[in-house]
Amino acid sequence: MAPAPSLPVHPPNGPTQAPADASAPPQQRSQKQMTKAERRELQEAQRAAKAAAKANAAPNGAGGQSKQPPKAAPPPLTAAARKPGKLADPVLKAPSTPGTGRQAHARGAPPVAESGPPNARGLRIFSHFGLPKPVSVAKGDIHPTILRLALQFSNFKITGANARCIATLNAFKTVIQEYVTPPNNTLSRHLMTHLNPQISHLVAARPMSVTMGNAIRQLKLEISRMDIDLPEQDAKDALCQKIDNYIRDRIIIADQVIEETATRKIKDGDVILTFARSSVVQKVILGAMEEGRQFSVIVVDSRPMLEGKRLLSVLSSAGIQCTYVLLPALGSVISEVSLVLLGAHSIHANGAVYSRAGTALAAMMAKRHSVPVIVCCETYKYSDTVQLDSFTKNELAPTTDNFSSFPLVKSRDALLIQNQINLEILNPLYDLTPPTSITAVVTEVGVIPPNSISSIPVALGRLL
Amino acid sequence: MSTVDIATTPSGSQRSVETLVSKLRRRQVVGSRDAALETVLVLRQVVSKARFSNIDQLVAIIRSVGRRLVDAQPKEHSVGNTVRKVLHHIREEYNTASKGTAASSSKVTYTISNFVLQGQPRKQTVAPKSEAIITLKENDPDDPDSFSRALKPVLMEAIQDVLDELETVYDNVSKNAKDHIHSDEIILTIGHSRTVESFLKQAAHYRSYTVIVAETGPSYKGHEMAQSLSAAGISTFLVPDSSIYAIMSRVNKVIIGAHAILANGGMFAITGSLLAATAARVHSTPVVVCAGQFKFTPLWNLYHDFGALDFADPSSVLGFEEGSLVDNVDVLNPYYDYVGPELVDVFITNDGDHPPSSVYRLIKESYDDDDHEL
Repeated sequence: MAPAPSLPVHPPNGPTQAPADASAPPQQRSQKQMTKAERRELQEAQRAAKAAAKANAAPNGAGGQSKQPPKAAPPPLTAAARKPGKLADPVLKAPSTPGTGRQAHARGAPPVAESGPPNARGLRIFSHFGLPKPVSVAKGDIHPTILRLALQFSNFKITGANARCIATLNAFKTVIQEYVTPPNNTLSRHLMTHLNPQISHLVAARPMSVTMGNAIRQLKLEISRMDIDLPEQDAKDALCQKIDNYIRDRIIIADQVIEETATRKIKDGDVILTFARSSVVQKVILGAMEEGRQFSVIVVDSRPMLEGKRLLSVLSSAGIQCTYVLLPALGSVISEVSLVLLGAHSIHANGAVYSRAGTALAAMMAKRHSVPVIVCCETYKYSDTVQLDSFTKNELAPTTDNFSSFPLVKSRDALLIQNQINLEILNPLYDLTPPTSITAVVTEVGVIPPNSISSIPVALGRLL
Repeated sequence: MSTVDIATTPSGSQRSVETLVSKLRRRQVVGSRDAALETVLVLRQVVSKARFSNIDQLVAIIRSVGRRLVDAQPKEHSVGNTVRKVLHHIREEYNTASKGTAASSSKVTYTISNFVLQGQPRKQTVAPKSEAIITLKENDPDDPDSFSRALKPVLMEAIQDVLDELETVYDNVSKNAKDHIHSDEIILTIGHSRTVESFLKQAAHYRSYTVIVAETGPSYKGHEMAQSLSAAGISTFLVPDSSIYAIMSRVNKVIIGAHAILANGGMFAITGSLLAATAARVHSTPVVVCAGQFKFTPLWNLYHDFGALDFADPSSVLGFEEGSLVDNVDVLNPYYDYVGPELVDVFITNDGDHPPSSVYRLIKESYDDDDHEL
């Protein structure tokens, strides 16, 4: 839609209109003396003037091309774009309506529109990245637990696929316990509609993780399978019991099995590299420590989240010899590393691992230096979509509050970098590690090579 | 040769040498180009005040000065490179003046490199500075200064050449910038390299494209680069280095700067360059390095040395505000990465574009073999 206004640079009535444009009101001949064409032009001009007046009242029509300094030309331009076929005259007439008399700009408006999209084209390929939105006023009545949870998500107080899923399920347990089935309704049908706005509120706070999605889908399946004849409290208790079982089986016990399996891969004298903070990898390393293995750990960390510091404090207080580096230093330490342990946000049917931004770099460097890369991942993180690159689905971290993630040696005013004209700051949170960089995936159903990941549903007996 | 030492270096230039030595040791001279410029100025002063009666004495003076400068800051390779370049020019001028022929070297050895050089139409010698053949009397017992008096003007011009080349480095590297970048490309760069900055700004006059700058931690030099580029009207994105792999699939070219280029075609560049170059290789994206000729170093096995990557302050990685952690944890903060020649596609220098496989030939032409070890 946007490029359309740029096409009629010389509108069909251009040459005749332009001079008429220059002298603001055209010769006011009486209607009878004007030719039919001129009468029609006058009509269209008046209609466009009205549309432009309306558009100036709401200048938000610029949409994604807001990078350009807003002149009066672009908003009437995009407003005119909504009236196809009347593009020529509004382009020329509209700027004269606000009375600024910028006739030169009017003729320059089509070329401006042409340079507008190309200038913004580089910026547009990233425009689909979900920008964190402020949590809006809750529509409908959202349970206070869900409200609190949404706030915690949007402020990144709860991060990590497992943590978010467990928190969501616990919140839903509360919601279900306090739920009352309205008369003439069954729990199995109405509870779903009751939960949906709560789920949407959580998604509005922060896009849903694959773990949350899988868990909620399982929950909905259980709700629909509920026996209609059960008394309400029994049904609710049964549901909460099922949620507890899910957490216990798919997360807690799965983590224990993964820990036992992966610990067998750690030998004495190993140097283990890990990136950012994965709850599973933390359990694996602590488990190996408790078994008495002697090894050291290199924690690689990176902006924007700098989560590695939390892992570092847990590991070093457990007495493990740790080294801490930032991601660019990876090239210098990789030659010392004997094993790379990574966590995942989700794994896909083609064996690709979707994880914290920077994981792909760690896996790539390790592979180039022939270091085995092991991804520790529970089966409930499996998603049967196939993702090809980190672009189709990603999330941006908020660019405010940079101070906590920068070292104190940098002066404050150097850190106050913000979006300016021509400059945009992007902090993608996730990236996709291709299956070629991964040696093996450790799940609770076994150690699987990356190209057989799609067999996980089969291994689970179609429980997914 | 050892008898001619700093004792014969006159005190005026000795002071300037000492000043530069202490500046280098304290890292007050930052940046390879600035270090090279200061070195040339000091050498110019040394040569102008030096007293010598044959060429070997002059060479020994310069080499001793060069050794002191290099020892002050061995990681700043452009200092040594400049000394070698000045020595090369001096020897050439001397050969031209004394023989009056265009021979670039007095000894003719039959080596593969000479064979290859003969077939090259590239510039082999500097055009003789003086048309007249200077009669040089070496080791004249009556007038020991006649030799230096006769040769000095020519030498000063040669050193001025080196200085001019250094001063116009950015312009010459950016000369063909618009041929390397086409419209609507997405370029990735990392950190803040002034050569790359002028290259991109020059291309922006002719093409409109997008630049993604990876801030490289923990120096976060990328922030300054992004601000400078966006102020010049180039649409810029600033991303953390963790997303280099994520965006690499959309990047058309990676353009980075170098700190020093080694004789095997590899280079030292700011940390994060190895990640960017490796990710580019995985995605088959071309890697372009913009660097001045003064960064070419005749040494090449430096990367085996773990300390060759200069280390910076660890508190920028893990500061003392995390007091409990600092005691138990090792922190590494290397400042440079070694990027192997197989990861780089082309070096754009003020002397033209070269693939990494021909770097050794350039080095043979620019420096003399005797000077590899100062």
